[in-house]
Amino acid sequence: MIVVLLLTSILLVTLDLRDSGFVAGVRDTFGTIFRPVERLTNVVTKPVSNAWRGVLDYGELRKENLVLKDLLVKQEGTAIAAAASVREAQELLALNGLPTLAGIDSVTAQIVGQSPSNFSQTFELNRGKSSGIRVGMTVTNGAGLVGKITDATLERSVVMLATDPEYAIAVKVGNCTTPATTALTTTVPEATTTVAETTTSSAAVPPTGIDGGTTTTLPGETTTTTSTVPPTTTTTTSTTTTTSTTTTTLPKPTTTTIKGFTPFSTTLPPRPGGAGSQITIPDTGGLVPRETGALEGRGIGRTPIIRFVQASERLGALCEGVPVVTAGGSQSLAPPDLVVGTVARIVNRKGTAGPLLEVDLAANLESLNFVRVLLYQPATEIPR
Amino acid sequence: MKRFFAIIESPAMRTFLLGLVVLSFQTTLFNTLRPLGVVLQVMLLFSCASGVAAGSEAGAVTGFIFGLMYDMVLTAPMGLSAVVFGFAGYMSGGVNAFVHEARWWVKIIAVALSTATAVLLYPAASLVVGVDGLLDSRIVTVALTCAAFNALLAVPAARIARWALVKPVRQAIWAE
Repeated sequence: MIVVLLLTSILLVTLDLRDSGFVAGVRDTFGTIFRPVERLTNVVTKPVSNAWRGVLDYGELRKENLVLKDLLVKQEGTAIAAAASVREAQELLALNGLPTLAGIDSVTAQIVGQSPSNFSQTFELNRGKSSGIRVGMTVTNGAGLVGKITDATLERSVVMLATDPEYAIAVKVGNCTTPATTALTTTVPEATTTVAETTTSSAAVPPTGIDGGTTTTLPGETTTTTSTVPPTTTTTTSTTTTTSTTTTTLPKPTTTTIKGFTPFSTTLPPRPGGAGSQITIPDTGGLVPRETGALEGRGIGRTPIIRFVQASERLGALCEGVPVVTAGGSQSLAPPDLVVGTVARIVNRKGTAGPLLEVDLAANLESLNFVRVLLYQPATEIPR
Repeated sequence: MKRFFAIIESPAMRTFLLGLVVLSFQTTLFNTLRPLGVVLQVMLLFSCASGVAAGSEAGAVTGFIFGLMYDMVLTAPMGLSAVVFGFAGYMSGGVNAFVHEARWWVKIIAVALSTATAVLLYPAASLVVGVDGLLDSRIVTVALTCAAFNALLAVPAARIARWALVKPVRQAIWAE
């Protein structure tokens, strides 16, 4: 009997690893039987789960809520400027016939379950094949890459997180060949000042779409965020509303530098039909070099790493803090230029192995609720 | 109708239904309660308890079935949990080979040891089928937490497993 069980296991593992339709069918059928039982149990056990969470997580949640509120206020101004930058970048990409994320349809889904295993890092979504979701599609949230769909039934799908040891994707890493120019400078009046409370949102967007050129003044905060902007950067959007007068004491100026980005300075003629506005495009000779590598998850509580990166002189040195985006390409799991995170640490290795880069993911995978599934099925994931 | 009830009352059906219910608790309640960040393994608990209640062979078969059901809701290769849980059931059933009428504390030790072994064995089995990255220092915390929890519920779980596996005439189904 034991031998039969062992052989059956080996057979099942082999079938599953070879993507057998039989195993997928059995899983689907079992899911259909099991789902109602699970729903019923969920209803029955909900009070216990809530009580457990209430006892253990209440204090932490309150603290987190306060921090998040504070963060939200700070982010509002930046978001306005970022939205303008993204729009400009998409216009530029479209103008040059390059693929953009804006051209890919997406489905918003909610996370309704988590893997009951101590080893796999997966979440269950409340959308499935009926919403167009297929295996292999990329999952993101507002911050960046979350993972990929590994299983989809009619109304449910399973996401494997980017930190799962089985997850791997081609990525691009910026480096710091060119000296990092000041990308974000915050200047605040030092003394107590009496100012008109003003809401101003003004974005002068350089071609990289990330670099400076952003001026944001928030109500009651009178904080101006400016950057080194090339003299020929010409796209500016501005709205102003004056309401009341207030007195504010503000801290001393601080400066933050984002590494690896340089503004460029080629200006196109005015847009056809545009009312005097101009579009700025990158000078390809000065583009920040990008190194490609493979991002791999390493499991719960460990940051993903990037392998196969070469620290060549031609491409310049690798820096901590530089952004990591998806590489795209016909064999890649995700479309290009999807934000993944930033390089947290560089581990240099001897010989020709090249350095390992530890990556801080932009998306917080521990507190996911709603995610966006890009309806982009990579060629490698389409069933044969 | 009589035949229908006979099927419903058969140990195989009872085991399947028990598996469904336990699995639903695993994916809902025990997925939320995560002491030290560890998912408590009730499917493994009942696999080990079956061995303690009805012997090695019954434990192996029940563990295999429970593991297979668990694999259905995981993304890990199908059959991996089945073989590990089957081994755990077989191992815990070994207590009946050494002791004629196992005392309650012997059952607890058997379940705890089998649980810890299974938790440690799972990443190793994953490695064999090409899923690496699961073997790290955290596995010790997971094994100890799961073993402690399963030890706590070993006796009641063994009673439930006995109800499911043993026919009214007190004859183990899998021993046939």
